[in-house]
Amino acid sequence: MTSEEILTVKGLTVSYGESKVLFDMDLGVGPGQIVACVGRNGAGKTTLLKSIAGFLKPLAGTVTSGHVSLLGHKPYDIARMGIKYVPQDKKVFSDLTVGENLELGSYATGDYNWDRITGYFPKLKALMDRKAGYLSGGERQMLMIGRALLGSPKLLLIDEPTEGLAPSIVSHLKNVFAELSKSAALVIVEQNLPLICAIADKVYAIKEGRVVAELSGRDSIRADVCERYL
Amino acid sequence: MDAQLLISGVIFGLSIGSIFFLMAIGLSLCFGLMRIISLDQMLYYSIGGYLTFSLSLATGSVWLGVLGGLVVSGISAFAVERLVFRRIYERELTFSMITSFGILIGGIGIIKFFWGVVPRPVPVPIQIQTGIFGTDVPVYRLVVVAVAILVYLGIWLFLNRTITGKAIRAGIEDVEHVEGLGINVSRLFTITFIIAGSLSGLAGGLHAPLIMVDPTMGLEVLAFVFMVVIIGGLGSIKGTLISALIVGQVVSIGSLIYAPLAQMAPFAIMLLILLVKPTGLYGSALLKK
Amino acid sequence: MLKAFQWWRGLLLAFSLLAVSRVFLPLPFVIEVVIFSVYTIGCSFLLGRVGFISFGQPAYLAVGAYATAFYLFYFGTNPYVGILMGVLAGVAVSSIVGPLFVRLRSDYFALVNLALAVIVFYLMQKVLAGITHGDNGLWFLTNIASTPMLDLSRPSDFFIFSFLVALAVWAFYKYLDDTVYGACCLATKINEDKLKFLGYSNYRVRLLAFIIANTTTALAGAMYAVYLGFVSPEMSSPSRAADPVIVTILGGVGTLYGPIVGAFAYTGMKDVISKFIGNWELFIGFLLVFIMLAGEKGIWGTLQPWLAARFARKTAVADASTDETETRR
Repeated sequence: MTSEEILTVKGLTVSYGESKVLFDMDLGVGPGQIVACVGRNGAGKTTLLKSIAGFLKPLAGTVTSGHVSLLGHKPYDIARMGIKYVPQDKKVFSDLTVGENLELGSYATGDYNWDRITGYFPKLKALMDRKAGYLSGGERQMLMIGRALLGSPKLLLIDEPTEGLAPSIVSHLKNVFAELSKSAALVIVEQNLPLICAIADKVYAIKEGRVVAELSGRDSIRADVCERYL
Repeated sequence: MDAQLLISGVIFGLSIGSIFFLMAIGLSLCFGLMRIISLDQMLYYSIGGYLTFSLSLATGSVWLGVLGGLVVSGISAFAVERLVFRRIYERELTFSMITSFGILIGGIGIIKFFWGVVPRPVPVPIQIQTGIFGTDVPVYRLVVVAVAILVYLGIWLFLNRTITGKAIRAGIEDVEHVEGLGINVSRLFTITFIIAGSLSGLAGGLHAPLIMVDPTMGLEVLAFVFMVVIIGGLGSIKGTLISALIVGQVVSIGSLIYAPLAQMAPFAIMLLILLVKPTGLYGSALLKK
Repeated sequence: MLKAFQWWRGLLLAFSLLAVSRVFLPLPFVIEVVIFSVYTIGCSFLLGRVGFISFGQPAYLAVGAYATAFYLFYFGTNPYVGILMGVLAGVAVSSIVGPLFVRLRSDYFALVNLALAVIVFYLMQKVLAGITHGDNGLWFLTNIASTPMLDLSRPSDFFIFSFLVALAVWAFYKYLDDTVYGACCLATKINEDKLKFLGYSNYRVRLLAFIIANTTTALAGAMYAVYLGFVSPEMSSPSRAADPVIVTILGGVGTLYGPIVGAFAYTGMKDVISKFIGNWELFIGFLLVFIMLAGEKGIWGTLQPWLAARFARKTAVADASTDETETRR
């Protein structure tokens, strides 16, 4: 593990109240890497992302990006450092228009250049004045990812991006992720194994709050291998 | 019923409803964004009233007093937010309720310390009456209504046209996601709290000439403001406006029919509405957290 | 036998301390403390066990007090019957409003209860002024007949009566804690969904808690009425709405003995401090904020683990189970 890494997690232990949910987790993400986390529901994947993004306070362990520790920073600070969390359930601000949703992202980062977003997701261009609550699931996901791209983050933490989406949108997202990895690192929590096998550089299998396997290299990341950990 | 009585009753109800609205909007915004119930709003209301009393006595201008009350309540709200609320945002609702009640009670003690317990009168800044459909109506009450309308428009513009307002609206839906975008939500909280406190102070200042200011004036409106917020639904601006209008009219028209009704009728209406919709007219079930 | 003793041990200790204080402190003070703690335990139970905060306890206090007062003023002379009337009125009113109130979320619940207190206040002050005599209140001290055994018209006998009532109330609440129902109450506070999956109705658990707690409050109201021989709308005034909440917090939320300790401290401070600084609200308000910020444990909540630790060192480990129930917050 070198300091070159965009994200280094060591010995991360997290609890909700009395009950521990993550135990002594180690994780490393290099520049431009796409890292996937697989595991069953309740394995602790979302907790892991939320802890990195600063929403949960770990009991023990370290989370660093480059040489900078992320622990003790507020979530908005971490987001401003270029580490963006894209939550699951496609929760856009439904009372605000698509444009306003993006505006908030711009306001936070000072980046008002939306061309890159509409470049990835041309569909959003025509929807700018629509209330985000009226978008389809796929459009919402595009908006969520697009919103996070403002400020050119160095690391995206994306939670279940393809859950419940149509195959055509999933393959669109796949291309976007591959494209994104040229400028940023990605950590994706995902159950869609074909997608993972197609784009991931590294896979962490998580079970009951622990990392049970780490696969890296094209050859070892295969659907039948990942399947064992689901 | 006599038409003249009815018209003056409606105007009276509108002005009372406007006061309730100015107070309830702060409570509602604070609940929507920070998930707190801030009973200390009633304290800023009293502060607004008392400063209007003292400043109008010192300078001779009630309007200057109202302005001073608004500013001082805003500053008090800012101090309370920094000293107390900042530490308890994470806790459950009941926690903020009890704590803010402590602030309210303590604040009443401070008011008694400075101004004593005797009720004090505040002069009505506009004495003239105007005729509406042949009925003489005090112009000051109409001014109160106009101020409330302006505040409503101002709040609407603020929430819909400014980026801070948009962030507040987004935060009412989901604070965590706003923070995840990189927005400093504790700044949003402070801004919202100051707005709420200032509006309560404004309400107190405007109400002062219509009543006497006394240390427990905050407790006296407490129940009505609550009823407004409950009927409208916590966290909804539109609901707050509508229910403030309803409660104002019910209080006013009710008291024309049978005096004690003024206090009882809003309560009965509140119970009826809760029976049909436990989250109030415009409160969404989603607010549950 | 030993088990029964362990169960009663804490109660007996607490109440013997209370009885002893009768010797050192003025009688009105001790009676006030006893009634006040009965008044508060309902609020403490609702907040600590069911997670409902009620700023409307004065409503139920007034219901109990006025029911007793009506009986003693208009109909009869027997104070025991009067108190029974108060309790019955408490059951009736809480059974009527309960089904509506307990469906609400905890925030609305608090607001609605406070509104109820205001309504009861105006009801007694204005609407029913014909029979309540409005702000003048009802005076019926001379109507209260002497009763054999415990003569409630005599303060010293009234103390014994209120003392016994309080002991019974506490034994009842302690018993509640030990039952499945007590566990259900805690469960509905912490995780209502899980309780639902276990096949219990949150609604029923809460409704029962609501009725129990507010009937206790009405009982306190009835005792006030008989003790003072006087009731007035002031009882349910909104400015008094905070009293039980403050005492609950002061004593320690949801602890069994919190209300007694809180009532003692509150009444004591009120007597002493208002003599010196005359600005009682200022003090109590900021004390409340301070306790909340300091971790909402209250006096008993802070003392009790310390006492438990000292006590545990002296006695055997055998009574771990009883200690556990006492430590439960």
